[in-house]
Amino acid sequence: MANFNIDAVKERTFQAIVIGSGMSGSWAAKELCEHGVKTLVIERGRDVKHIKDYPTTNMLPYEFEHRGQIPLEVQKENPVVSRCYAFREDAQHFFVKDKEHPYVQEKPFDWIRGYQVGGKSLLWARQVQRLSDFDFEGPARDGFAVDWPIRYKDIAPWYSHVEKFAGVSGNRDGLPHLPDGEFLPGFPLNVVERYFQDQLKTHYGDSRQMILARCAHITGNLDYYAEQGRARCQSRNLCQRGCPFGGYFSANASTLPWAESTGNMTMRTNAVVHSIIYDEEKGKATGVRIVDTQSKEMEEYYADAIFVNGSALNTNLMLLNSTSSRFPNGLGNDNGLLGKFVAFHNYRARVSGEYHGHLEYTTQGGRPTSGYFPRFRNVLKQETDFLRGYAAGFSANRGSYSDQSGVGMDLKENLLNPDKYGPWRVGSHMMGETIPKESNYVALDPNQKDEWGIPLLRVNVDYDDNDEKMVKDYLEQMTEMFEKAGFTNIQTRDERKAPGLDIHEMGGVRMGRDPKTSLLNANHQLHAVPNVYVTDGASMTSTATQNPSLTYMAFAARAAHHAMKNMG
Amino acid sequence: MKRRDALRSLALLTGGLVLVPSCDFSKEDILSAYQNLQITPSLKQLLADIADTIIPPGNIKGASDLSVQDFILVMVNDCVDENGQQSFMKGLQGFGDFSKKTKGQAFSNLDTGLKEELILAGLTTEDEKEKDIRSFLGNTKRFTIQGFMLSEYMQTEVKPYSLIPGDYQGEVLIADLKTERING
Repeated sequence: MANFNIDAVKERTFQAIVIGSGMSGSWAAKELCEHGVKTLVIERGRDVKHIKDYPTTNMLPYEFEHRGQIPLEVQKENPVVSRCYAFREDAQHFFVKDKEHPYVQEKPFDWIRGYQVGGKSLLWARQVQRLSDFDFEGPARDGFAVDWPIRYKDIAPWYSHVEKFAGVSGNRDGLPHLPDGEFLPGFPLNVVERYFQDQLKTHYGDSRQMILARCAHITGNLDYYAEQGRARCQSRNLCQRGCPFGGYFSANASTLPWAESTGNMTMRTNAVVHSIIYDEEKGKATGVRIVDTQSKEMEEYYADAIFVNGSALNTNLMLLNSTSSRFPNGLGNDNGLLGKFVAFHNYRARVSGEYHGHLEYTTQGGRPTSGYFPRFRNVLKQETDFLRGYAAGFSANRGSYSDQSGVGMDLKENLLNPDKYGPWRVGSHMMGETIPKESNYVALDPNQKDEWGIPLLRVNVDYDDNDEKMVKDYLEQMTEMFEKAGFTNIQTRDERKAPGLDIHEMGGVRMGRDPKTSLLNANHQLHAVPNVYVTDGASMTSTATQNPSLTYMAFAARAAHHAMKNMG
Repeated sequence: MKRRDALRSLALLTGGLVLVPSCDFSKEDILSAYQNLQITPSLKQLLADIADTIIPPGNIKGASDLSVQDFILVMVNDCVDENGQQSFMKGLQGFGDFSKKTKGQAFSNLDTGLKEELILAGLTTEDEKEKDIRSFLGNTKRFTIQGFMLSEYMQTEVKPYSLIPGDYQGEVLIADLKTERING
């Protein structure tokens, strides 16, 4: 990090610049550095070194002043992030506080961010399902958005590449709409989850299945991961604190130290990107302007290839703010579509219930994943009054508890000896595909700027009628499946939470075949500025239903190799 | 700055027994560690007695052995909304009268059985006039249980907490679980 004040162009010139050090940026950096490309990684937040900077990772519950709860005063100051399930006393230091990084909500949108080295890869839920051609062909078949310029065969080898290095646990389920990958041994489903699988088979044949969700945790091939300094997942379920074993994939534990070990990576932290520099004579991007978050000084860095991996909405913001006389409306934005067709995953609805069978059993130990319903609606053909469909999580739980009704010695004895078992609790949540629309967009605020002089982002994203129908269908169908399985006390809930809390915001810089209707080509290059690559969530043409991080990682690796081919 | 740090350390060491400057020496000092509450040493002692009635000492330490009253006050101060805090304070301040009215004596003079009866009565009262007592006792019981179960003592000596809970087993016969009964 030394000598950044030496103001020589040479010192500030690299072969590639990667903006963002999280899920996708770290993958671009890893691939580039591993192949000898001198790469600068620009991160707006502070450094977070694996293990060393996980202050809470080995803390015991009693060491948290409020036993995990976030004090009300903090919640009041930060209502958006306080709605995120993982914003707790043990991981709060990895989340952006509303107050520190304002944005404008034209409509309610809970924007959850992690500004540090590793980004949200420290905090993610680690679910990694592949997209299939039922997803890549969706827009063309169903007549929305634009056709994806790639198909499954283009990305499949990169999924494999990424899965192998990151470590993915799962079962080979043989489903065409949720392709198998390079799997390490799967975690077990429990006795009631397996019972539910059997019930689905009885009542729906193979048309609806509940499988073990694939997750980015190491469960085998240990010698291979030892080379990264990572070990087997210990089922601690404290992942959001950062894992001292490197048991799950994070940029901090895996791709970044790997990139660093090549000697080809330079990390520039505390640097907010102002804009990408476009050279009109050369007809390409030549570098990046940053603002040092502490000194507030502007600096420039230069490279032949620029990867924009700032997380979906911030990537939009950076491109929108990269104006020049060639691109007055943002870099590569000849068609005026930059920032538009933003979409997300609809996580609004839940169904819960009880099961009074298998009462002689319980579970023990921890498990970092759960059951998963791949999409079963409109897969082979359109069959409902809404487009696309939803995936769903599913899990069954049972543990002992104690009667806490009294006071005194009776209460104490009960607390010390929790020997009561209730019914199994079963629960599911939906993960709906949303249809990208021009009216769901982000834009720069014309007046308001943050403390580094960057325009605030205005977010205008909302549900539509298709989402409402899908919520209704999910609640009906999951209720029906629960009933058929003999679950009781079934409760349905539409939480009506704002978009954003799914933390799967996507689009705005979508891929497509035609420069008139898309921003990126099949290789993730801006049509109009081919040495700029966007491989994070911003590039998504449609959202599919799968947890998207795996796809961003595969996109980043693939695009990095494309860029290297062009470097000669 | 250094002085403030020193004062803060002192406040932590003494459980908040740092004096808020006051010229009225006839009144008890307010403990400054709980800035949203007006806690005097005697109210804190009463709270400790109530917590100790909810989870008494025995073979295993009880609530006040573990200073659960400190935890209750931290949680009410930091994690309970303003209405809840007001209700908590009114209930705590009114608890002495509630005891005299219901049992004819100050709480500290009651024997264990009567103390338990009083707390149970307060927790379940439907009398609107006693809603602050109900709310105060509800929060106190909740945080007493949490503070006791998630105390260092419980999690290291009685039921050691494991950061590594072991491999997931999804089909464990309850009949096969051998848990030794802990005698409280």
